[in-house]
Amino acid sequence: MRLDQLAVAAYRDGRRMVAPLLGYPGVQLTGSTIRQNTFNSELHARSLQALAERFRPDLLFFMMNLSLEAGALGLPVRYPLQESASVEEHPVRRASDLEQFRQIDPLADALIQAHIDTMRRMKDLLPAGILRGGYVVGPFTLAGLLMGATSLALATVEQPELVTEVVEFARGVVEAYGRELVKAGAQVIAILEPTATFLSPAAFRKFAGRADRQVIQALQEESSRKAATAGEEVMTILHICGDAGHLVEAMAETGAQGLSLDSDVDLAAAARRVPADVVLVGNIDPVAVMGAGDQEAVAAAVEHLLEAMDPYPNFILSTGCDLPWNTPLANVETFMRAGRGWRRQAGHDK
Amino acid sequence: MSAAGQWDVLQQAIIDGKTAAVESEVRRLLEAGAAPESIINEGMIPAMIKVGELFEEGQFFVPEMLISARAMRAGLAIVKPLLRSTEKVTKAKVVLGTIQGDLHDIGKNLVGMMLEGAGYEVIDLGTDVPPDKFVQTAKEQQASLIGVSALLTTTMIRMQDVVRSVEQAGLKGKVGVLVGGAPVNERFAKEIGADGYAPNASAAVRVADSLLGKLKGA
Repeated sequence: MRLDQLAVAAYRDGRRMVAPLLGYPGVQLTGSTIRQNTFNSELHARSLQALAERFRPDLLFFMMNLSLEAGALGLPVRYPLQESASVEEHPVRRASDLEQFRQIDPLADALIQAHIDTMRRMKDLLPAGILRGGYVVGPFTLAGLLMGATSLALATVEQPELVTEVVEFARGVVEAYGRELVKAGAQVIAILEPTATFLSPAAFRKFAGRADRQVIQALQEESSRKAATAGEEVMTILHICGDAGHLVEAMAETGAQGLSLDSDVDLAAAARRVPADVVLVGNIDPVAVMGAGDQEAVAAAVEHLLEAMDPYPNFILSTGCDLPWNTPLANVETFMRAGRGWRRQAGHDK
Repeated sequence: MSAAGQWDVLQQAIIDGKTAAVESEVRRLLEAGAAPESIINEGMIPAMIKVGELFEEGQFFVPEMLISARAMRAGLAIVKPLLRSTEKVTKAKVVLGTIQGDLHDIGKNLVGMMLEGAGYEVIDLGTDVPPDKFVQTAKEQQASLIGVSALLTTTMIRMQDVVRSVEQAGLKGKVGVLVGGAPVNERFAKEIGADGYAPNASAAVRVADSLLGKLKGA
């Protein structure tokens, strides 16, 4: 099954798939911290189980960690108690700097293994009917963590061959981890490529899109190997936070079945720019609306988005990015209720 | 060369991001007798305005902007030491940084360079900056603006502490707080009581200029 087939089937049934990027608020339900969940797969899976049982989304991802793969390569990462992890140093200046990282097996990293184990546990703990989602960082974004975003941006113009080499190395790391997530039972994998937001469409195609496409193909290949026995193929989503409106067509060309876009992007306009078999995933503001708004504001924002997307079957209601850990749970409930309450308007069926 | 055309070479070199060409042209202009403040005000600032326009038109993206801004800074580094202290080329001081808990700096760097290119003096506090530090520095340096950047949804919420800290220090209306960063938007900026929001580095200059006008009028 492809993501568009699921989204369109729901639409034909007169409902929408609803899947906010929920991971972090799970800490409220288990009385834990983001840091504890990062390091403890049993707790992480329980936090996700609690979210799944309470909100019943159609798809649930584990907690987002953009620094995971970089940390597995030995880059220093800061893990605050209740915030996203951050990479503290970006040591790659030239191609030869990559040599030290080629000696490292990222899959031997304890946190990588913890996330693979979380995925295995999700398979046991999540109620049936909720798709299990995992994240991998995009190769271009991992290149940005290796080189530093500013250096990477400058290098896209001044040292394109260096960028290509670092992205190519990063692609290998991402693929290796992604394949393990597929083996562990991931049904959906979102590739997180936020650093690519600063690229022109042409530069995106050259430096990020090509590598993203290869990762997607590798994940699909891995899952079709597994599908012979399990009967399911992995679905892929490309996620870029921030204003990636200029990249929508280029993102769709990667072969991702879904594009997850942030609240800055006009999703209905994006729907007119992508093929009907590419699902748009988004894009309620995770902080101003979900985190800081009241239930009324959440309901209004969701209803407004549902109305704007009404003509488009290829849409999954979600948030623009991951929710802050302390997002009021009542807001998530309102989001789910408003999403579940949607009914297709007569005459809107492409 | 006509008076209006005397800056063409410098401006084109900045737009093209050619650092060495900017440096040699600045030196040539100085040798030809151009005043340092004219090189900045009539040569460099209009070039950076053009760079901002190219960005907003979708012809330039962040990498091109960074390269232009870097070239401009190389020129500025030659001219600045030659300015006499009485010469007014600085619009205002801006204290800039990425909020505490956040180590991302590309947006902040770009905003800093664009503000510098527009005639501001930028005091860059780097990344992971505690809210109080912004305000304390603004006080010490008599800055008119504070620019706060965030790239994470988990850290941007802390921007409101900068706004609060400005209020507590009694600087509301005297020091403007400008916020930006990928997850930040107008709605969020209003909610936390920031004085301005810029969706990108080019807009940051416009918002800073407008904010400065309001503060001066206050």
